[in-house]
Amino acid sequence: MNHNYTATANVSSFFMEIGALSRFAGRFFKELFSWPFEFREFLKQCYQMGNKSLLLVGVTGFILGLVFTLQSRPTLLEFGAVSWMPSMISISIVREIGPVIIALICAGRIGSSIGAELGSMRVTEQIDAMEVSGTNPFKFLVVTRILAATLMLPVLILIGDLIALFGSALVEYVKGNVSFLLYFNEVFEAIKFSDLMPATIKSFFFGFAIGVVGCFKGYNSSKGTEGVGKASNSAVVFTSLLLFIIDFIAVFVSDIIYG
Amino acid sequence: MENSAAHTHGKAVISIRNLCKSFGDQVVLDNFNMEIYDGENLVLMGKSGSGKSVMIKCMVGLMEPDSGEVEILGKNMLELHHQEKDELRAEIGFLFQGSALYDSMTVQENLEFPLRRHKKKFKGGNTNEMVEEALESVGLAHTKSLMPAELSGGMQRRIALARALILKPKIILYDEPTTGLDPITAKEIILLMMDIQKKYKTSSLIITHDVDCARVISNRMILLLEGTNYAQGTFQELSTSKDPKIKAFFK
Amino acid sequence: MRNRNAQNIKLGIFVIAGITIFVLAVYFIGNRQNLFGDSIRIHSVFKNVSGLQTGNNVRFAGVNVGTVRDILILNDTSIVVEMLINEKTRRHIKKDTRATISSDGLVGSMVVNLVPGEEEGSSMINPGDTIESISKIATADMLTTLNTTNENAALLTADLLKITTAINDGEGTLGALIKDEGMATDIKKSIAGLRRTSEAAAVSVNRLNKILSSVNLEESLAGLILNDTSAAGEVSQIIADLGQSAEEMKLMTANLQEFSEEIKTGEGILNHIINDTTVVNHLDATLQNAEEASKKFDENMKALQHNILFRGYFRKLERRKAREGKNENNR
Repeated sequence: MNHNYTATANVSSFFMEIGALSRFAGRFFKELFSWPFEFREFLKQCYQMGNKSLLLVGVTGFILGLVFTLQSRPTLLEFGAVSWMPSMISISIVREIGPVIIALICAGRIGSSIGAELGSMRVTEQIDAMEVSGTNPFKFLVVTRILAATLMLPVLILIGDLIALFGSALVEYVKGNVSFLLYFNEVFEAIKFSDLMPATIKSFFFGFAIGVVGCFKGYNSSKGTEGVGKASNSAVVFTSLLLFIIDFIAVFVSDIIYG
Repeated sequence: MENSAAHTHGKAVISIRNLCKSFGDQVVLDNFNMEIYDGENLVLMGKSGSGKSVMIKCMVGLMEPDSGEVEILGKNMLELHHQEKDELRAEIGFLFQGSALYDSMTVQENLEFPLRRHKKKFKGGNTNEMVEEALESVGLAHTKSLMPAELSGGMQRRIALARALILKPKIILYDEPTTGLDPITAKEIILLMMDIQKKYKTSSLIITHDVDCARVISNRMILLLEGTNYAQGTFQELSTSKDPKIKAFFK
Repeated sequence: MRNRNAQNIKLGIFVIAGITIFVLAVYFIGNRQNLFGDSIRIHSVFKNVSGLQTGNNVRFAGVNVGTVRDILILNDTSIVVEMLINEKTRRHIKKDTRATISSDGLVGSMVVNLVPGEEEGSSMINPGDTIESISKIATADMLTTLNTTNENAALLTADLLKITTAINDGEGTLGALIKDEGMATDIKKSIAGLRRTSEAAAVSVNRLNKILSSVNLEESLAGLILNDTSAAGEVSQIIADLGQSAEEMKLMTANLQEFSEEIKTGEGILNHIINDTTVVNHLDATLQNAEEASKKFDENMKALQHNILFRGYFRKLERRKAREGKNENNR
């Protein structure tokens, strides 16, 4: 059955790819809700994706907040609107820049590693070995990874957002003598539920996209070492594209809901 | 030496009838027939790309053949439900071409992996003891907590063999057990395979294109050519054959 | 095994950190929007809510005390704004509190300002109460009155100027002044008119002042002035100047009155005028003052007109006048 996927991927027609990906995602949901659930592997993957990406996300978030604030400062200064800095930065980070940048970073970090790992497992027959050992490799490898990515990404994004705001607050503290208390007071003054909620819901979908595409590419990777590289590379490329599409849909939908 | 057993055929543990498999226009298996008898070492020889691996994957249900029957221990593999298929698979050990050890797990975890799903078969069995026993039988008891990447190719192959043995299967399928190994290590592996065959009284199917391996281990041989069972017999019989196509195998 | 436990602990810390951030963010945001904690609902009816949105802040004396919960269009002239007010601040908000809508900063969102009433001993507001609203139309009305006053003042000043010129022109006029009863009546009329105008100006200035001080510049004019404190300062300066002009006019009117009384009684006027140059000087100075005051008043009015924020209003007025003039011409 898995080889049907391989064959489909080889046709490399875009729509076939999308169709196969959808079937793959559908299979994920089917297998997710059937016994057994590989809880230990799931926790291991959560640790791998969550904790191991934290440093990367933290550093990226911090620099993001720092640079973003430094870059916008002169313009706002010109308008005499520096006091708007916390609300402007926080809204753009929480709503858009934080989730998208962190998801892209994670697509590079998590998506490619899933693609490469599953790809090499496919190539070296580890997936087949699992199957003959009586373990459903889809459940063990795919379900746990997709679920872990889906659940870990919102956490990473929330932490990343907070660190980005700290970076921004640091700039304001040093350059504008704004205390951290005042900064975060203004941040929470500016952020509304309609900023936080769509962004958080969106980040679940980001995580899901990263997991699904990474697993899809890796699980159906073609034979040979070249296949592994291709799986990991195309996982990142396709995920990045998908992230922006999801982002667009999310913004569109939340715009309708929140007016 | 073992040849005496070769012709006293016991009952067939595996019988494959009219197996067909093709990928697109490329026909890989074309009405392939084969039987493996209890307690024998059957060597299946063929050129690379001749469909040996496809055949072995069809046998354990990793691939679905286009048509044909696979009967293992009296059960039709292709008609079984998932649960029954898993139970039957517990009776089959599988040594993969490149060892296929899970490289994110330690040796111990690798060996425990088949036990996770098949614990039922060993009620009350101590996982740890079973792992140690399997490792001892391949002579690598000290590697328990190492990662596969820390082991040499020969050691990896042995661990893989230990993993195939841990469920005490009745049948072991070897997919190119000696490829990628230097001749000395290959020889060690072959001797180990024979030891194990004696110790656990398993029936084995060995897929290879290594003539030395075939000579040492085989009771009986089948030559796979153009998707069919081209010739069968003992190593002696086949290696002295006049047929140029058969001769080509032993060059 | 120990390794796995350590991993699980780290994972647990990581996940809990994420959830904590989320919960805290929700709590802080919710706190701002008064979603948690006790609050009461009050209403106010506006003609125009100037883009107020659900969730905007409600301020009492500049302190955030609640949020706008809902905005409903009742009919074409009344829009009900429902507000959630923090229970803790309720006791400071009396029943005669009035609500205005203004902008929060130059480019900020709209806010509802609650302006404390002046009535002593007004009782605390109750849930479900409707409070009065102040609409910006009041300011516009006031400015109309002010403008009429200004026009009258200008007219009178022109009259007075004529008289002054006549006096200054010399002997002949002086004689005429003494002989001509009509001239004296003219002066008297002018003076009466000037006094009326000046009083009217004083009244409107007072009204303006009162509204501005009671409502607090930042609050009531805010919609118009966009809360620009420098603009507000300018306006209040202009108003102060207007007040001064009116004051001066009053003084001058009194002087002229005195003078005209003397003319009327005719007692020793000629003597006075001939003998006592101080009287002439006095009259001259008085008239000069009148001119100056009137000019100042005019300037102030012009300044007011030039203030961008009032410009629209005055332009409208001019247009209306032009239209009326055309109508008259057509007739």
